[in-house]
Amino acid sequence: MSDETILALGAESKIVRITRLDQPFVLKIRPKKSYLLPEIDNLLRSSRTVRECKTLTIARTLGIPTPTIHSVDLQSYTIMMDYIEGQTLKDVLKKAGKDEIRKLCFRFGQIIALLHKGDVVHGDPTSSNVIVGNDSKLWMIDFGLAEFNATVEMKGVDLHLIRRAFETTHWDNQEIMLSATIEGYRDVLGSKADLVLKRMEEIRERGRYH
Amino acid sequence: MKLHCLGLEGTAHSFGAGVVSSDGIVLSNVWDMLSPKEGGIHPREASQHHSNLGPDIIKKALDESGIEAEQIGLIAFSQGPGLGPCLRTTATMARTLSLKLGVPLVGVNHCVAHIEIGILESKFNDPVTVYVSGGNTQVIAFAGGRYRTFGETLDIAIGNMLDSFGRHVGMRFPSGPIVEKEADKGGVYHQLPYSVKGMDLSYSGLLTAAKRLHSEGVQIKDICYSIQETAFGMLAEVAERAIAHTKKKELLLTGGVARNKRLSDILAGVAERHNAKFHRVSPPLAGDQGAMIAWTGIVQYNSGDTLDISNSQVRPKWRTDEQDISWR
Repeated sequence: MSDETILALGAESKIVRITRLDQPFVLKIRPKKSYLLPEIDNLLRSSRTVRECKTLTIARTLGIPTPTIHSVDLQSYTIMMDYIEGQTLKDVLKKAGKDEIRKLCFRFGQIIALLHKGDVVHGDPTSSNVIVGNDSKLWMIDFGLAEFNATVEMKGVDLHLIRRAFETTHWDNQEIMLSATIEGYRDVLGSKADLVLKRMEEIRERGRYH
Repeated sequence: MKLHCLGLEGTAHSFGAGVVSSDGIVLSNVWDMLSPKEGGIHPREASQHHSNLGPDIIKKALDESGIEAEQIGLIAFSQGPGLGPCLRTTATMARTLSLKLGVPLVGVNHCVAHIEIGILESKFNDPVTVYVSGGNTQVIAFAGGRYRTFGETLDIAIGNMLDSFGRHVGMRFPSGPIVEKEADKGGVYHQLPYSVKGMDLSYSGLLTAAKRLHSEGVQIKDICYSIQETAFGMLAEVAERAIAHTKKKELLLTGGVARNKRLSDILAGVAERHNAKFHRVSPPLAGDQGAMIAWTGIVQYNSGDTLDISNSQVRPKWRTDEQDISWR
């Protein structure tokens, strides 16, 4: 049979590692939230499960490494996908030296740009949602908040969220992380990046009290 | 020797004065809110409100505290963030008092004050704070020497959204409490845009859709019910993300909108799911008032943070994470 290890208890999902046919897999389960109105809860669980499946596949066609999906259960809102061996970018960045940080963030910026080039936004592009594989390859995960047909505004929000994640989680190195990410982003999009980067600044300034 | 601090709050539509002692006792807390008959808050009118009523409110706060002006050892004021004209009026009163009484002056960050008074009341050590008011919607937690904003609204604040909807359907300002009463009577859910982006959220689409429901003839009580369930659900999700991310074990709800019972219940549910403690700041300390400024002033003063009058200019865009939290 199989052993089960809970890898993470997130805000909206439980991530469990299982073994089937001697292969490791991941189950992503979206449990019920009793404090939410059931109408809202059910809608979120189903729409995000579906969206995650679609985007994982579309992202791969855009050239972004993502885990392969093996099965989906819309009754229990569960996705079974590949287990990626590695650590989160969040953990790796906390231990990395400046050169390594620059390299990783440059690649992170490239990945986000590839998504945006396909008019897809990730919706929650934090360093916890990137896995650094054992061969230093970056994998993007957790597409439950992704959106298609993305506008400049939606892409700007995506970049704003990256900056926010650096500020709150990697404050010591936030400047070099952001500039390396932007470099990687520009590397893929060229001058098309300017409009989105400008929007990122506008979004930050927009809130009266920030 | 006990220190008594007089705190002045005047960042937006409320002006407040409060006296707090260094052992954390709120001795007085007096405030008045500009409540226009129609429409919203005009910054100039709000600052006139503050300069007209300020002196009497300060006098009343001193009278109620039982502390003589000469016994006040510290003046604290809301230096930012907020509406420029309101901040300047309040700062002028604070500087005058500091010079007149010959006591030190402390400039307090309004958002930090909301958190610190909540920590004082809840006896929490290190909470994730959900700060919700007319002008703010933020999820804040302490990390790396600062209070950092993990999530916030990308457009309008939750209180602003409730007020704008209320104004649209003819409710008085502030509409939040009226929306809550209506929602209690409602029970038919109409789907509204649920917009969470990472730990940020957006309420402008929800507001537009709620107005549309009204024009389609949906009953106000059911719109209010749907607004609350959707808007508070979004807030619960970002709070939950912040708890999951920071692994903190305390959840604090503060700000004017913290008075809403349904929001408090939903967030209590979030805390329960993560085995975290939950506290809702009591109504007199939840909104904008002087006691929170006075208490934070004491905390800052004790860590050596005072202002020269010449450096006491207001900071309308003062970000929460720009303030060094030297006392934690």
